[in-house]
Amino acid sequence: MNSRGVQLASFLVLVFLIFPLIVIIGASFTTTPYVQFPPTGFTLKWYGDLVGRSDFLQSFIDSVVIGLVTVAGVGIVGTPTALSLRFGPERGRQVLRSFVTAPLTLPTIVTAVALLQVYYVSGLDFPWIAVTLGHILVTLPYYIRTLGAGLESLDPSALEAAESLGASRKRIFFKIIMPGVVPSIFAGMIFVFITSFDQVTMSIFFSSGSFMPLPIRIFSYIEFAIDPMIAAVSTLLIVVAFVAVIFMQKAMGLERGFAA
Amino acid sequence: MSAATQGSGLVRTRLEATALMLPIYIYYSIFLVLPYMLMFYLSIQRYDPVELYSNDIDFSNYVDVVTDPFYLGLFARTIGISLFVTVVTVIMGYPLAISITSARGKLKAFMMILVLSPLLVNLVVRSYAWLVLLGDNGVINSAVMALGLTDEPLAINRNWISVSLGLIHISLPLMVLSLVAIMERFDKSVFEAARSLGAGEWRILTRLHMPLALPGIAAGSLLVFCTVISTFVTPQLLGGHRFSTISTVIYQKFTFSLNWPLGATLAFLLLAINALVIFAHGMMFRERHRERAAQ
Repeated sequence: MNSRGVQLASFLVLVFLIFPLIVIIGASFTTTPYVQFPPTGFTLKWYGDLVGRSDFLQSFIDSVVIGLVTVAGVGIVGTPTALSLRFGPERGRQVLRSFVTAPLTLPTIVTAVALLQVYYVSGLDFPWIAVTLGHILVTLPYYIRTLGAGLESLDPSALEAAESLGASRKRIFFKIIMPGVVPSIFAGMIFVFITSFDQVTMSIFFSSGSFMPLPIRIFSYIEFAIDPMIAAVSTLLIVVAFVAVIFMQKAMGLERGFAA
Repeated sequence: MSAATQGSGLVRTRLEATALMLPIYIYYSIFLVLPYMLMFYLSIQRYDPVELYSNDIDFSNYVDVVTDPFYLGLFARTIGISLFVTVVTVIMGYPLAISITSARGKLKAFMMILVLSPLLVNLVVRSYAWLVLLGDNGVINSAVMALGLTDEPLAINRNWISVSLGLIHISLPLMVLSLVAIMERFDKSVFEAARSLGAGEWRILTRLHMPLALPGIAAGSLLVFCTVISTFVTPQLLGGHRFSTISTVIYQKFTFSLNWPLGATLAFLLLAINALVIFAHGMMFRERHRERAAQ
C-alpha cells in the first residue's frame, strides 16, 4: 500500500503543513522593511523592535496570567469531575461524559457571544475575568479527558489490593492514584495553558484598546499591516508550540495526549 | 465496606459521586446553560437602534434570515466551502495517514510531530503565514511575477482560494489523526491475502482499504466539517470583507453593527447546522463521537 506515489504525496502534504511556518521563521530575519521570503540578509532587528513594544509586552503578560489562572481553575473544577467519572457508579456515566464535554461540541464563537451577553447584562467591567471564565469553560473538557485517560490506565488490581488490605481512602488517593496520574495532569495542564494562551475566538469579544491578550494584539495588528515584527513574534510562538509538543510527548506520548 | 461499593474504593456512594461533580454542575449552569438560555431569549427579540433590543417577542429574526437572499447566500457559501475543505482534507490526508501507519520508530514519531505541531501554533499566526504567502506582494506572487508568468498579481487573496487554503491547513491534522487512528487497527494480513490472490494495488485500495477506513473517514469528516464551519479567525483574516462566512458575520453583528438579536439568531442557526450534521452522522454510523477541535 505504501508505494512510491503514496510516499511522494505524503511528503508534499507534509511540506504543505510545515512550509507556511518556515516562511514565517525565515521572514522574521529579513533586513528588508517588508516581509520577504527567502529573507534578504540576516538581522535580529525585528526581535529588538518587539522588546521595545510595551503594548506587546503587556499583552504577553496578560495572556500568561490568564493562562495560569485558567490552569488553576480547570484543575479545581476538573479534577473532582474526572475522579467522579472514573470511580463513581457505572450507570449514567456515558450521559455525564457527554454533558461534561459539551463545550467541545458547541461552536466556540456561539459560546463566546452567549457569554458576552451575560457579561453585558451583569454590568461588570472586568474583561480579563470574563475572558478567563470563558477559557476555563472551553478547556475543561480537554483536561477532564486527559486526566480521565490517565485514570483509566491505572492498574485496577493495585486499587483492589489496596482496598482489600484495608487501606484508607486518603492512602489510596495519595499512594496509588496520584503518583499514577501525575503525567496526565501535567500533560493536561500544558495543553490547557497552550489552548488558553492561543485562544482568539473567546477573547476577542471582551477585548478593547486597554485590554488585549497577545493573540488579539497580533490579530488587530495584522488586519492593517503585515511587517516583519509580526513574523518575529509569530516565530517565538511557533518555537513555544514545538517545545510544548515535545514536552507532551515526553510526558505521556503524543497520540494519547491529543486523542484524550 | 458498604453494599454500594463499586469495587473502586475511592468513591463509595452515588451521593459522593454527585458531590464531586458539584463544581462542574455549578460552573456549567452559570457559564454555559444560563448564557445559552439568555441568548435564545435575545434571538427572539427585535433589534432597536437606540436600546440595543426591544421586548417584542416573536420569531421574526429567524423568518427574516431564512427569507433574505443575502443570508441564504451566506449559509450556502459557508456550507459549500466547509464541504469542499472536508473533501480536500480526505484526499490530502489519506496518503499521509498510510505513510504514518506503515512507518516505524523514529520516522513515525517525527512525522507525527510534523502533523501535530501546527495544531498548537496559534490560529492567528497560521493565518498570517498564508497572508504572507498569498498577498499581492506575497511570496507566491513575487515568485510568479519574477518568472514572468504574469504581470498582475494572481487573484488568490481575500477570496475563496485563500480562505480554503487557510481552512485546509488548520483542519488537515485533525483528519490525519482520525485516519491514523483507524488504520492502526487494520489487520495487515487481509491486504497480504488480497495481494497473494492477485489483486492489484488500486483494487486493494478501493475495494478493501477504503471501505475498512470508512468509519475513520466519516469521523474525520465530521470533525473537520464542524470545526471549519464555525471557525472565525481564518475567514476573518484571509477573507476580509470580501469573503464572509456565518462566523465572521456573527462577529460583525456583535461588535460593529451591534445588532445583537440578529447575531444571536445567526449563532443559533449555526448551532442548528452543527447539531444536524452530528445527528445525521450518528444515525449513519451509530457511534459516539465527542471529538471536536478547539476554536
